[in-house]
Amino acid sequence: MTALILSPAGFSAIIAAFTVGALGALLLGRHERAAGLWGNLWAAGGSLLGLLYSATALITGDVPAFGVATSFPLLSLSFRIDALSAFFLLVISLVALVSAVYALGYVRHYYGRYPLGSLGLFTNAFIAGMILVVTAHHALWFLIVWELMSLTSYFLVIYERREPENIQAGSLYFIMTHIGTAFIILAFLLMYGATGSFDFGAIGRGMAAASPLLRDGVFLFALIGFGAKAGIIPFHIWLPGAHPAAPSHVSALMSGVMIKTGIYMLVRVCTDFLPGPPPLWWGLTILGSGAVSSLLGVLYALSEHDLKRLLAYHSIENIGIILMGFGSALVFLSAGFTALALLGMIAALFHTLNHATFKALLFFGAGAVISQTHTRNIEEYGGLIRSMPQTALFFLAGSLAISALPPFNGFFSEWMTFQALFAGVGTFSLVTKAVFLLGVGSLAFTGGLAAACFVKAFGVTFLARPRSPEAGRATEAPLSLRLAMAALALATLLLGVIAGGVSRAVGAIVQALPAFQGGALQPASYTLLRVDTGFAAVSLPALTAVLVGVAAAVAGAVHLLTRGRRVTLGRTWDCGADLTGRMEITATAFSRSIVTVFRGVLKPTGQTEIDYHDARLRYFPKSGLVRLEFRDIWAQFFYQPLQKMTLGIAGQIKKIQVGNINVYIGYILVTLTFLLIMLAARP
Amino acid sequence: MRPIAPQTLLFLEIAIFSAAVFLHLTKKNSSAVRLYVAQSAAVSFLLMVPAFAEPSALLLTALVATVAVKLLVAPYFFFGLIRRHRLRFSVSTYLNTPVTVLIIAALAAFTQTEAFRPLTQLAAGGDRSLLLSVATIMISLFLIINRKGALSQMLGILSLENGIVSFALFAGLEQSPGLQLGITFNILIWIIIATVFISMIYRQFGSLDVTAMKRLTE
Repeated sequence: MTALILSPAGFSAIIAAFTVGALGALLLGRHERAAGLWGNLWAAGGSLLGLLYSATALITGDVPAFGVATSFPLLSLSFRIDALSAFFLLVISLVALVSAVYALGYVRHYYGRYPLGSLGLFTNAFIAGMILVVTAHHALWFLIVWELMSLTSYFLVIYERREPENIQAGSLYFIMTHIGTAFIILAFLLMYGATGSFDFGAIGRGMAAASPLLRDGVFLFALIGFGAKAGIIPFHIWLPGAHPAAPSHVSALMSGVMIKTGIYMLVRVCTDFLPGPPPLWWGLTILGSGAVSSLLGVLYALSEHDLKRLLAYHSIENIGIILMGFGSALVFLSAGFTALALLGMIAALFHTLNHATFKALLFFGAGAVISQTHTRNIEEYGGLIRSMPQTALFFLAGSLAISALPPFNGFFSEWMTFQALFAGVGTFSLVTKAVFLLGVGSLAFTGGLAAACFVKAFGVTFLARPRSPEAGRATEAPLSLRLAMAALALATLLLGVIAGGVSRAVGAIVQALPAFQGGALQPASYTLLRVDTGFAAVSLPALTAVLVGVAAAVAGAVHLLTRGRRVTLGRTWDCGADLTGRMEITATAFSRSIVTVFRGVLKPTGQTEIDYHDARLRYFPKSGLVRLEFRDIWAQFFYQPLQKMTLGIAGQIKKIQVGNINVYIGYILVTLTFLLIMLAARP
Repeated sequence: MRPIAPQTLLFLEIAIFSAAVFLHLTKKNSSAVRLYVAQSAAVSFLLMVPAFAEPSALLLTALVATVAVKLLVAPYFFFGLIRRHRLRFSVSTYLNTPVTVLIIAALAAFTQTEAFRPLTQLAAGGDRSLLLSVATIMISLFLIINRKGALSQMLGILSLENGIVSFALFAGLEQSPGLQLGITFNILIWIIIATVFISMIYRQFGSLDVTAMKRLTE
């Protein structure tokens, strides 16, 4: 049975399911209910097969490898599913499965507005593209499926095409993703030049003997190319626009898993394609960029009032956390501390899994809210906990997980990342220690700010009173949405409860990577998470006991202090005015104080307008308006000058475009002649 | 069957090359079409060489199709165009005749230089013919550049195609009959579309001079 599952036929069945789902949805396009059902059921089926395949590969430790030759000599459709590929396949399949279940109900609000056939087509092709990306074992084949993933996700970003900002976000995504692809192609071409092969295995063997300069070049190109997909700052500019523009279940896939394909390939490049101890600066660069991305990501999220954009910025933050784990692993590898490198890498992969679950959960929650209120503006929500109690509960679980609060999963992977960073601070000296300290500080800030951000996101969305008629009319999300959210909420809790066991399993995956072989891993129980250095340990039962103890103590104290008092429920005193949603603290007001602290980075442009009853006395304000906007420093100081320069060069080049066919043919003749002369002049 | 003498092949290539040169010199559209027909006839003879050396039904079909398209259909469309729009003398050029001849001579001489030496390795004993076909390609490209009339430019493109076909034959770049059929079908469709398009342009602008079409960009 295992052999059948891991056979090429078993893998083909996964891709076939998505293909049938995609084409069937397209053919059923006119019958939107049938198209939606078909596309999502096949996506769920394909994801289930993907889960089965990856779990089998991880449990048995087998590494299936197979390929299909093509008539093009340089192209081979090669696949190899080692432990790392199987892990990412598992993450993709898990999120895709719940996303398909969620979409069964979610797509209903597109009925009569947008075609369900094309949504089914692109969603299935997108998931298949991601699966092919993490299983491809040949550079050219990889580039083809990478492009499949990028293009299908682009069409999903512009799915709601009547919204001009979606088209704009899609265009930016399209440009950035292809700039990234250009760098990836350069990296592969450099490796092809050194090894003469596009096969991943041959590249890994050949690059061991490559010059340090060439290896550095490949690393840099790969960091830019895959970093653009992962959303590392400053290549993140596309992400806050593109992820929210897509339908919510697709946003969950993009934020939860698609950006991780960039991380997957960075790990492949740094540990497989460029074997041997990496130079110290590789790890420090990744660690530093992770620290910057996590801190700035959460700061931008704090200043955001579009719920989905807020979540998208948190993806940048979490990619930063993953990179801090991975960067520290590379630093340890370069210094020869394999056991510590193992710790950093486990933290990175564990957080990859955790982020996929809680980020998908949060996007699902946001989607449920948006489908009821028809707006992404957080200021127009409020009081939704009464009309959407289950959604509120699931969103709260996601908020606790992303804020790294125990016993949810986010806490444990961030705890491991902290341990890796502390180990670096304790091991290295001077510059390296400073970078690790930057990481520790950044992660500490990030944790606190993320919690503040989700107090805002949850509080302003679900608590108090509705601030718009739509929020007042909202009803609970359909069953399939709640089922998907419940599954993920449970997963965030479960992955936290058995964090010890999960870290052990992830450790086995990391140890299967050639670069990490030889690193010892202390056996851990399912509920105890411990660091090999003996520096720290965290026990879930102990943690639970403390939490329960504190809660019991607080409840007991309250009971003791208030016993005998009579509780009377009455109307809140409101100075004689009616209580309305306008009296509540807004998201802008909540984040304003924190934004003020970080105004050097965020560059807020605050504007306050007050209209008085009597302009001379200025005692009785009639109305007040606070407008808090943020300048995008990356756009202002990097992308806009770059765009200006590109347009200037393009303007010069445009001069050769004279609109006369004779001249164009003349260019061809001149070029041909020039090339022939060059050929003749060659020695 | 007895193999065709190299002199015959060289003669055919000279005919193709000469037609390309005379396409530059002729002032009448009808003469230009006739020159193209003559050039195509020479190319068809060249195509007959492999067809008769190794006869096959598909090869003969490809040959018949080529003859039909280049010697019958193309002139039919072009003469129809000339008749419909009275394009008897519509041959205007950017460069005058002496300069044109000088450039043709330079291009032809260029193809005999070291730059093209590597190409002669492709030809099995027919390097002169091969280089003549390269000269035909270059001169045809120049024809498209130098002519203002859309019809002349179309003929330049077709002459270029004839040059490429003869080059492929002399270079020994085997073409399957299926591919040849596909190319011929492609040319047929192109001729039809281009003719219809040119008629539409004439109706709109009253001229086939491409410089008059600048208004298209406004």
